Amino acid sequence: MSVLDEFPIATPVKPPPRNKQARRRKALRNGASYAILFLFAAFYVGPLLILIFASMKSLPEFFADPTGLPESFELANFGDAWDLANFPGYLMNSLIYTVVATALFVIMSVFVAFPIARGYVRGAGALLTLYVVALFLPPALIPQFQLILNLGLFNTRQGYILLFLINPIGLIILVNYIKSIPRELDESAAMDGCGYVRFVWSILIPLIKPAIATVTVIHAIGIWNELILANVYLTNEDLYPITKGLIVFEGVYGSDWPKLAAAVLMLMLPMLVLFMFLQRYIISGLTSGAVKG
Amino acid sequence: MAAKTRNMFGGGKLARWLPWLMLLPGLGFYFLIGVGPSLATFIYSFTDATGIRGLPINWVGFDNFDEFLFQGARSRDNIDALKRTLIFMVLVTTIQFTVGLVMALLVNQKLRGRLIFRTLFFVPVILGVAVQGLMWKLFLRPGGGPMDSIFGWFGMESQFLNGENAFYWVIVVQIWANAGFTMVIFLAGMQTIPADLYEAAAVDGASGWNLFKNITWPQLTPAINTNLLLNIVGSLQAWMLFLVLTGYKNGTQVLGYVVYAEAFGGTGSGSFRQGYAAAASIVLFILVLMLGMSANAFVNRRERKYMS
Repeated sequence: MSVLDEFPIATPVKPPPRNKQARRRKALRNGASYAILFLFAAFYVGPLLILIFASMKSLPEFFADPTGLPESFELANFGDAWDLANFPGYLMNSLIYTVVATALFVIMSVFVAFPIARGYVRGAGALLTLYVVALFLPPALIPQFQLILNLGLFNTRQGYILLFLINPIGLIILVNYIKSIPRELDESAAMDGCGYVRFVWSILIPLIKPAIATVTVIHAIGIWNELILANVYLTNEDLYPITKGLIVFEGVYGSDWPKLAAAVLMLMLPMLVLFMFLQRYIISGLTSGAVKG
Repeated sequence: MAAKTRNMFGGGKLARWLPWLMLLPGLGFYFLIGVGPSLATFIYSFTDATGIRGLPINWVGFDNFDEFLFQGARSRDNIDALKRTLIFMVLVTTIQFTVGLVMALLVNQKLRGRLIFRTLFFVPVILGVAVQGLMWKLFLRPGGGPMDSIFGWFGMESQFLNGENAFYWVIVVQIWANAGFTMVIFLAGMQTIPADLYEAAAVDGASGWNLFKNITWPQLTPAINTNLLLNIVGSLQAWMLFLVLTGYKNGTQVLGYVVYAEAFGGTGSGSFRQGYAAAASIVLFILVLMLGMSANAFVNRRERKYMS
């Protein structure tokens, strides 16, 4: 369940205000709450509004007034940024990396998580511990680089995708969810002559859809937003994902904020749409990584 | 954990090995690019490895650590970066914790539009550093940018990310980007507080601050502890907003950025000193481990105090 959805809230319940004074106090407290909320909200809406305003201004207009409302709804910057920033190319790259790596990761992980959750392989407990411990180890960045370099995968799509085939938190989420699926199901399926792979593929996977959705979105968001690994591993411009493309665009057109703002908005948009539809999976995924599993 | 459970799918030899066989790709990649390289960081920290393929790698003992911490002007910069990392941690942890708690308390009331506020505060978490950073670069633009205008009303001036307080502006953005996450964990904790606790207290005439002090705060213990640990460990390791907002320059860099810059030629010297950078990342790792473990011990004591 997502906490952003409606849920039974343990709001401090007070008896309905009995007299005028109590009602006034309540109104005052609500007023104060709204005042603080709107102050916070200004920090969240403000940068976004400024970004939208900037994306609709012409360059001279922006220099004359970087903050205020645009004079007209000019969408030319979006088209310009789309072409100049090689958006279609970068977008396609990001899409390839995200889809391929996420699909591979999720499929492989189900086959790791299932036998661990059930104890069908020896040392299942130790294996699970190995995934938990990894969250506390030093970052793998440097030896990983040496490995990719020596495999000859530096600056290749395959090498970049390879980096995203792991996600300990995702695996732990899957294991925990599979544990809630009754074991009798395995037994009766096996009794009916269902094979191992077919069981996992066509019976288990449909049953653990919520967990799969959660893991898929958090893994995909991570890849989509990745900037550092793209910086490290990709030097060929044709291979850049959109995040790196955006930073390069900033380097070249850094002072042309209207175009840059349009580009940032175009990168943001898919994420916002995704968030609107998959809120509960995103939040449960991100927080279940945080709370002890 | 039922470790002894028999896999009952099929009886043939292949069928018995099938779970292992299907598990191997996932586990293999995990060792190859996850745990393996993680552990190898320790080994690399004792070598003079570079980022150039084919160059021999030599064992240099503790030289990297010695150089990083004790040799010359560079090491003084490193110690400064270490101190800065700690300041970053303390400021981000305390402010983000407080802001997240206040947000959660506010949007946990029966107020119209609370769902919109919740969503609004959480959205930056999913945007990634490139978008977060560029948004704020525009917002903090000197010379007529929004924040500059606001400063102007009060007769103040700042160069923001280009000025001497750049480090603190990055802290502002870091908190902005992640406070929603802290809020959500607090909210999840508040959901688990039984409503009748409040009802009983209200009957006794308790209100406002007393309700918070005697019910909400102690009942929130698990969420408080989670947030403390996450904020401490997370802020010690955070550095990516610096990359987008300020770039690598003396006076702002934190340890995580030093590791990255030394390893991948971001210092401006163009060299890839990966053994040296690995040593730096071990120093950071030890720092995270020490502070994380003390925080954990502290948190466990609190939990015993409140939850028993």
